[in-house]
Amino acid sequence: MGAQLPEAEPHVATSALTLAPAAGEPIERRRGWLRSLDVVVPGAVLAFLLFLFFIWPLIGPVGRPTGGNILNANIEPWSSGHILGTDPVGNDIWSRILYGGRSSIEIALTVQLIGLVLGGSVGAFAGYWGGALDLVLMRVLDVLIAFPALVIALAIAQSLGPSEFHTILALSFFSVPAFARISRAATLRLRERTFILASRLSGTSSPRVLLRHVAPNILPQLVTFGLLGMGVIIILEGALSFFGLGIPPPDPSWGNMIFDGQGILSAEPRLVLVPSVFLFVTVLSFNLLGDALRSRWSAL
Amino acid sequence: MSDGATQPVEVDARVEDAASGGALLELRDLRVDFRTAGGRVRAVDRLSYSVASGRTLAVIGESGSGKTVSSRAVMGLLPPTATVSGSIRFDGRELVGLSDRQMRRLRGAGVAMVFQDPSRSLNPTMRVGAQVIEAVRTHLDLDRGAARKRAVELLALVRLPLPEQRYHEYPHQLSGGMRQRVVIAIALASKPKLLIADEATTALDVTTQAQIMELLRDLQRQLGMALIMISHDLGLAASFADEVVVMYAGRAVEQAPTGKLFAHVRMPYTQALLEAIPRVERPPHARLPVVPGRPPDLAALPPGCPFEPRCPNRRDLCRESDPPFAEGEPGHRWACWFPCASEASP
Amino acid sequence: MRSPTARLIVYRIATAIPVLWGVTFLTFLVVNRLPGDAAQQLLGINATQQQIQELRDKLNLDQPFLTRYFDWLGHALTGDLGRSFASDQSVTSILNERLPVTFELLAYALIVSLLFTVPVALLAARKPNGIVDRITMATSMVGLSVANYVLALLLVYVFAVKLEWLPAIGYVNPADGIWPFIKSLTLPAISIGFPLFCFYTRLLRADILEQMQGEDYVVTAKAKGVGPWRVLARHALPNSLFGLLTVVGLNIGTLIGVTVIIESIFSLPGIGGALLEAINNRDILVVQGIVLVLAVIVVLANLITDLLYSVLDPRIRYGRAAS
Repeated sequence: MGAQLPEAEPHVATSALTLAPAAGEPIERRRGWLRSLDVVVPGAVLAFLLFLFFIWPLIGPVGRPTGGNILNANIEPWSSGHILGTDPVGNDIWSRILYGGRSSIEIALTVQLIGLVLGGSVGAFAGYWGGALDLVLMRVLDVLIAFPALVIALAIAQSLGPSEFHTILALSFFSVPAFARISRAATLRLRERTFILASRLSGTSSPRVLLRHVAPNILPQLVTFGLLGMGVIIILEGALSFFGLGIPPPDPSWGNMIFDGQGILSAEPRLVLVPSVFLFVTVLSFNLLGDALRSRWSAL
Repeated sequence: MSDGATQPVEVDARVEDAASGGALLELRDLRVDFRTAGGRVRAVDRLSYSVASGRTLAVIGESGSGKTVSSRAVMGLLPPTATVSGSIRFDGRELVGLSDRQMRRLRGAGVAMVFQDPSRSLNPTMRVGAQVIEAVRTHLDLDRGAARKRAVELLALVRLPLPEQRYHEYPHQLSGGMRQRVVIAIALASKPKLLIADEATTALDVTTQAQIMELLRDLQRQLGMALIMISHDLGLAASFADEVVVMYAGRAVEQAPTGKLFAHVRMPYTQALLEAIPRVERPPHARLPVVPGRPPDLAALPPGCPFEPRCPNRRDLCRESDPPFAEGEPGHRWACWFPCASEASP
Repeated sequence: MRSPTARLIVYRIATAIPVLWGVTFLTFLVVNRLPGDAAQQLLGINATQQQIQELRDKLNLDQPFLTRYFDWLGHALTGDLGRSFASDQSVTSILNERLPVTFELLAYALIVSLLFTVPVALLAARKPNGIVDRITMATSMVGLSVANYVLALLLVYVFAVKLEWLPAIGYVNPADGIWPFIKSLTLPAISIGFPLFCFYTRLLRADILEQMQGEDYVVTAKAKGVGPWRVLARHALPNSLFGLLTVVGLNIGTLIGVTVIIESIFSLPGIGGALLEAINNRDILVVQGIVLVLAVIVVLANLITDLLYSVLDPRIRYGRAAS
């Protein structure tokens, strides 16, 4: 999981991490929408997936993801009522995929939002005010980041017991410091720019400066980082669930579906393949979208 | 002729040809276009000049005037988004259209370049000596010992104090002036016939500036090189150049041997540049004259003279029609409908 | 007279100490401050009151939090991290047994991925947006988007089950044969190393391109007539490697987390497996000890990276001489 995606700042030892900026972009002229293909395609795929996971189960014929009858075990795909077949316990795979996807994205979104708001603000304060606050914060961040994130997540999840809420808690442990780092670095860079100086000299109070000048300018970077991190968080959540420490069975998560399918990989590969493919496509779309937005917005 | 504009004489290209017979470098109608997100931008437009061995040409202009782009074109160091057309003849050989591999043989050996900011133009993680040796061994087939000897010789040639010691140091350990000397040493490594100094002294303090310029002049005489100095500083040109080309918005707007130019400036832009040079004789606290306005946006050039919006002599004709760059007096060319110091200018 | 480098080193080490302390505190906090009667949970529902009380005494659970913390910390500093409940093995000996395997795996994965990263990044940067570049970027994007546990399972399926080239599980001690040892670690190393390679390649390529397109010294080198490969490899690359080095160092934490997963899938007797076992057995002392050691390793790795950077960058190493 090399994808703790860094904003490579080689000369800042405590820099945060996002995917490397794509240098060497060709300056070509393409017709309007064609030029935005790199945003449109993953965006559309994501929109479709979101629809599938959040809206479709409410309006379409989707079965129940749990409580399957063992007599229905291992039905083949394309059978009536079970497009993707059932698993060894009798649950409908298609609905498990959908509900699992919903959980994964819910969790990832929440974690990233917490990170953005909490980590983003803390980092911005530290970067803006500097001095003792910054020093202390950096050390605290160092401590948090020192913990192998997954290890902590596992420990937390185990002590508190697996549940969606605990998973969010555990993963926030990971995203908040990451956002704080990025936010701090971005704020530091911003602080050097003259318009900040100008507004402070003209008497604008600090909170105002932060809100009206700093925030809108670091937000694109934070959002891009958040998007790029979605993939990471989803994969991490999958890992937790894989070990039974994320979303508790029998509730579906792609992670625990993959785990369940491990044992019979040779006999019934689809039990691993289907959630893996969905996982891959979702993560890939987030990565592509984040990457495309980042190369747009970093030009600003 | 009732409108009062001077009608400069259009000189036949073939006549020009005969006159520049001994040129080492000759640009003819050089055009450089860039493909950008906003469309095609013409950074250099119909630029022609020539330099002979042992002579110094100054190319003067503001940023965006095309002076650096034209010199990079000579070296073949433009990015892939650039298209070069026209003619660049060096030592009898046409450079436009050569492959990168062919150009590489010339770079450093035939034509060398010294850049503006010595703190950035040297590799920070490579020792000074290694960088000089690299220049030597790229073109000359010497073994390590001989190359090293030559490198130290070069460092001494550019009057770097304690060359043996500096050889082992890193660029950041040297002062700005010393670094620039190293850059010059690198440029001279393969005995180039033409040296292009692109704002070579701009990033240095005034004293060092003078020293470096003196060094360049002495080296030029010693080695018989041609020198092109690119700058925005007309004063520098006055002291060191044999001939001056003034560029604006990608084209040449005035060109003459130095003496002639300063005796009788024609183009209002050149006049403004001249006046902008701070002078000791001025009364203290007087406002420094500046050229009003800003350099034009090359992507959106008006149909007439590009200097028109900022020109004190401007008239309607200037906005409508682009003045030709032509030889109004022998050896002195300019592109202006209403040049300075002519009876008809307002 | 202290050189600037020495001063820098001292400063970095000094700042690392509070971080280390914070790490110990946080570890203890996370593992211990959580709801539920630990003793009760350890012994299960059927334990008698007496058994629970015995255990509580043994673990000093009735003592205040801070006392327990300092008690544990004190022992830890002398190398005593307690004993496992499940096996009564000392935590330190568990670490001694298991850590080397994890290190071997990590080293294998890192070395292999870095070995491929440098040439591929160079090839890609040689012609930006050329064929090699586009393929590299596309592949690396795909590689980054695959979960490594999924990759691990797929690798096992293809190489172990179908092709039977490499073992699916199990670890062979190098003492029992170098080649089988390497084979036993190969699939796990690829599961970790491939996404890593994708990530590093993108990073390095971007950095190289930044150097090539933005830096004046590159133009100087070209103006000397130096060939494009040499400009890339001898000028741009060394300057870009700094960035990569920093990221590798900073990434160690994530890497260790990843290793935990992979070790479990491949049944490797590394620290990850020990941790998971301990977590499942509610073996508090083992969990504490392992998390602590891992966190300390990460802090040290960051410190070393910082120091390495200071030492390697000649601008820092030599400082400014009197001009």
